Amino acid sequence: MRPAAVAAVAAGTLAAAALLVLAAGASPADAFVALLRGALGSSAALGETLARSTGLVLTALGAVVAFRAGVLNIGLEGQFLAGAAAAAAAGPLFPDAPLAARAAVLLAAPLAGALQAAPAAWLAERRQVPAVLSTILLNLVAAAGVTWLVRGPLRDPSGDYPQSRALAEAALLPPLAAGSRATAAVLLALLLAAAAAFVLARTPIGLALRAVGEAPRAARAAGLPDVRLRVGAFLSSGALAGLAGGLEVLALTGRLYDPFTAGVGYTGIAAALLGGMSTIGGAASALLFAALGAGSSALQRDAGVPSSLASIVPALAVLALLLARGERRER
Amino acid sequence: MTGFIEIALLLAAPLLLAATGELLLERAGSIQIGLEGTMLFGAWVAFAAGRAGLPAWGGLLSAALAGLGAGLLFALFAVVRRADPILVGTVWNLLALGATAFAYRLGAGETGSVLEVATLPRGLVGLPDAVAASFLAPVVLHLWLTRTRAGLRLSAAGENPEALRSLGLSVVAVRSGAAAASGVLGAMGGAVLVLTVSPTFVEGVTAGRGFLALALVVFARWRPLALLPAALLLGGVTALQYRLQAEGFGLPYALFLALPGLVALGALALASARGGAPKALGSPAP
Repeated sequence: MRPAAVAAVAAGTLAAAALLVLAAGASPADAFVALLRGALGSSAALGETLARSTGLVLTALGAVVAFRAGVLNIGLEGQFLAGAAAAAAAGPLFPDAPLAARAAVLLAAPLAGALQAAPAAWLAERRQVPAVLSTILLNLVAAAGVTWLVRGPLRDPSGDYPQSRALAEAALLPPLAAGSRATAAVLLALLLAAAAAFVLARTPIGLALRAVGEAPRAARAAGLPDVRLRVGAFLSSGALAGLAGGLEVLALTGRLYDPFTAGVGYTGIAAALLGGMSTIGGAASALLFAALGAGSSALQRDAGVPSSLASIVPALAVLALLLARGERRER
Repeated sequence: MTGFIEIALLLAAPLLLAATGELLLERAGSIQIGLEGTMLFGAWVAFAAGRAGLPAWGGLLSAALAGLGAGLLFALFAVVRRADPILVGTVWNLLALGATAFAYRLGAGETGSVLEVATLPRGLVGLPDAVAASFLAPVVLHLWLTRTRAGLRLSAAGENPEALRSLGLSVVAVRSGAAAASGVLGAMGGAVLVLTVSPTFVEGVTAGRGFLALALVVFARWRPLALLPAALLLGGVTALQYRLQAEGFGLPYALFLALPGLVALGALALASARGGAPKALGSPAP
């Protein structure tokens, strides 16, 4: 894309955001300052941004891995929920062994995410069901599953609200700095982003994945195991989203409740799109959206601008990008 | 039991309206997986119109007009500019969820109480007329697609757009028209939900109905008349879920919460193997 088009996308998105702030009765200039302060202005604000970025970076990575292999996994939201549910089930099994609880969460969450994606992978390869449709429906099933789990098998009997039993305090990841919500989870997410970037760009398996995504017939004719590669990308994508859900529990909430997500899976896809479906671009967009999320919460507190601004602006940015980029190649 | 059947019909109506619109669009060769967002948008418009003092039919009409705008906007992105409709639809849902929550919060303020709006009155057949008309929508679409020149052209845009173009007709115009019509029907689907069974607005009030309507289209193998039994089945399942919910939480309730999605998935597994999709579905206009 030309720099002028990029500037137009950014300007259009900012203008729309300013209109929304005006509609809420606040001054765009004051709001911008409040937003920045809420996202980066103090160690607590920065911690909030980093804490929110974990889930977004990992779901954006999940989207990149799947979409680059030609798998339209719209089910990251459900895979995130599956990972969170697995973490809330496995973590409390080890009330006196924090390290075991952590290990259980880190194993169970990606596994659950992959399992949540598995039916869609099977349906796509064996029954030619478009992954777009099956993953969307699996999101509904996962949300229903969470509703059931927090009221049924995982319910904390001592709580008034339907929520799961909490992990032991000692099992939760400690903050990186005092008074900050950021934990080692964000470091793990960024490490995985670097690893995924390396694998996709520099290894034979990454090349094969991209080949299957860009020219499936040619890749197959060249003898690449296309079905195995697509299924592998699908399950890895689910595992990344599942890990995101597990880390949300392990680093932030300590338990599962309902509803557990306000669209992190969909926002992750938007981040991947805005980042041009590259791992680094997707992770950078995810950090940007996380800062927007932290800033919007502060904005709602300070100026009464509804915090759903944080899901409107990413959507607007991606729509502006799609509008500017226009014509696509034949899939 | 009559109460149960009435609820089932009321719940099937939004699904039918939205699925009929989506089927129309997909037969023309485009696809809007952001149908959930369009329904949500229509639901919010109907709610806002009701809060502004308009009668229920005014809310329905406002939602239809808003849906027309939404459909044309979608056409601008996915048809005229030829952006990938799957990507447009994905962020469309995100936008609608955020924008309706934003607008609702601005309108309602910090109040935690439930704001209700007036519902559609019962009409000729004991159901609101808009609900009764929903059951005619697939029949009308079927007749229109098979019996009129415009309907055949619309199908040609989905089956063989090059042929349509070689006749000197614009595939972009046909698909844009279909997108506008599907926007109207999708938004009306969301509005009917708010104006009958749940006369209020909460974030994500459509609760996945747009996604179920998408699945209905595949399940019906893109034939309008097949939408009727499928929507009635899902309406019945949801009505049963409401009944179980009223009797307290338990395993059956949880199962029924997941059941519409599971039923739709199972149906897809069976339906897709048999095919029936428009040949040019999702491909850019020539």
